[in-house]
Amino acid sequence: MDVFTNVAVGFSVALTPTNLLFCFIGSLVGTLVGVLPGLGPVGAVAFLLSLTFKMEPATAIIMLAGIYYGAMYGGSTTSILVNIPGETASVVTCLDGYRMARQGRAGAALGMAAFGSFIAGTFGVIGLMFLAPILGRAALRFGPPEYFALTLIGLTLVAYLSQGSMLKALIMTILGLLAGTVGMDPISGEERFTFGSLTLQDGLGLVPVAMGLFGIAEVLENLAGASTQSIYETKIKGLLPNAQDWRDSGWPIARGSVLGFLLGILPGPGPVIASFVSYAMEKRLSRHPEKFGTGMIEGVAGPESANNSATAGSFIPLLSLGIPTSAMMALFMGALMIHGIQPGPLFIAKYPELFWGFIASMYIGNVMLLVLNLPLIGIWVRVLKTPYTILFPLILLFCLIGVYTLNSNTMEIFIMLIFGVAGFLLRRFGFEGAPFILAMVLGPVMETSLRQTLLISRGSFAIFYTRPICAVLMALTLVFLIYPLFRGKKNG
Amino acid sequence: MKRSDVAVAGLLIGFAGFIFLEGRRLPLGSLRVPQTGFFPSILAALLALFAGALLFQAWRTADSAGGAETLEPRSWVRIGAALAAMAFFALALESAGFFLTTFLLMTLLLRAIEAQRWSKVIPIALATALVSYAIFGMLLGIPLPAGFLGI
Repeated sequence: MDVFTNVAVGFSVALTPTNLLFCFIGSLVGTLVGVLPGLGPVGAVAFLLSLTFKMEPATAIIMLAGIYYGAMYGGSTTSILVNIPGETASVVTCLDGYRMARQGRAGAALGMAAFGSFIAGTFGVIGLMFLAPILGRAALRFGPPEYFALTLIGLTLVAYLSQGSMLKALIMTILGLLAGTVGMDPISGEERFTFGSLTLQDGLGLVPVAMGLFGIAEVLENLAGASTQSIYETKIKGLLPNAQDWRDSGWPIARGSVLGFLLGILPGPGPVIASFVSYAMEKRLSRHPEKFGTGMIEGVAGPESANNSATAGSFIPLLSLGIPTSAMMALFMGALMIHGIQPGPLFIAKYPELFWGFIASMYIGNVMLLVLNLPLIGIWVRVLKTPYTILFPLILLFCLIGVYTLNSNTMEIFIMLIFGVAGFLLRRFGFEGAPFILAMVLGPVMETSLRQTLLISRGSFAIFYTRPICAVLMALTLVFLIYPLFRGKKNG
Repeated sequence: MKRSDVAVAGLLIGFAGFIFLEGRRLPLGSLRVPQTGFFPSILAALLALFAGALLFQAWRTADSAGGAETLEPRSWVRIGAALAAMAFFALALESAGFFLTTFLLMTLLLRAIEAQRWSKVIPIALATALVSYAIFGMLLGIPLPAGFLGI
């Protein structure tokens, strides 16, 4: 089957009434999560994971993906109107977006953010459609040594690209790998670190840990500070950018689309990095770099395009190699595995309808988001005015219900609370949650491939540098580990 | 010396020691045939190594109270109240049932943290309990504990 036949099959899956409905729900919830500061997309996906148990796998992943890219769209709204990013990938949009709003050009900024997101999101989906199958076929030649090297470089890169100290990110990675060892040994089935608890026999659940680290910790962080936010009171008019806006934004959108897609494939917080790099690039290429930060539309169009394109790119390593590259992708891996589906090189060949249905739903979702974001901006602004004192009890309640309904087990609520407190304290000391959750998911893959490799090589580590792909990956890992030592940066 | 990092590093070294001791109860195997305790032991060693590096780094940096800005007592009270309310939810859910526990949780959170007016707290808590029961219990068909009220 060629690509176009596959896409047609995909649309036949995505256009079923149920999948359309859940694509819409996902996009809507995602936009809402993006708009509301206080619950990030990772926490929202973790919460809704438990509700997808009864769904068809395609429906589940279509809805969860909708939340992910919906949050990227919605995040720009708060950045522009309130100067508070709804999620991290929209931080940079505050710089010029909010200035534009202050100058009475909120409509143009919101409009260009939505159009740029749509164009780049569609570009990213096309890239995903062509690149994932190619990479999947190449990965069929991978054995346990390559998989070990791949997980190792993935985790190292996440630590290397972390926003704070690399040493602290490495510590979080090790702690995450340790958390992944709780429960049954993936090879022998022997119990480890369960301390007699029945709940821990199946390992630490991804959902309670992720909701603790990202949902509860976020709320505690907000409760710790006196959050007083005010919406810039302005009449939003003229959502369609004018001809000059389009002339100024055309190239930033194009560059942001390509850059975002490429950075999205790499391990780490792809959309966040993509938005920052895009902003820096636009500023460098601009004839008026000094005006950036004063309300330049290029500073909105580029980063907003880049973060949306990156969301599509970040699915490639997961769907073709079975390696999640961010906390969000780790949750998607969990969502697929709940339905007995193992993402990896055989994923596209074994589940073509699921893969292509998912791709098609992303086209549809991007159109839905364009429709949702522009005419409904008035509603989002009203939602934004919900006082946090009303909002946070609801977020906490959703987290509690989400975790309890997984297995009807109150012990898992306590696990979530423990990780919530740990996440809150660790954040305050400069330790990030993303490397932890990623390592926890990759831990069993890493351990199994390491032990299988040593069995194959009869205990010799030479196997890691005598196989070409493995040798390259190991060499790159070493570079990423050693480079910061010489650069003398990012270690504080 | 960054005192918070020193404290965290100390805790991590202690934790690595604990994992190492727990790991010793598991069969380690050999490099040729690694067994259940092999991977956790490597991780414990790496954790101790990185925590040692953090300790060394904190030792070398300028003396400071370090890391995080200190919180006001009021913030700790809010955080403590939120955690206590959630722990109450976990403990009471199966005996008191979903509806009553949700109502009490919302009341606690709305009253204890920002001290909202009762005339606002009761309707919001009641509406939230009703709507969430309708969505999760009735619409999505998720089995929720009934408790002595029957809902």
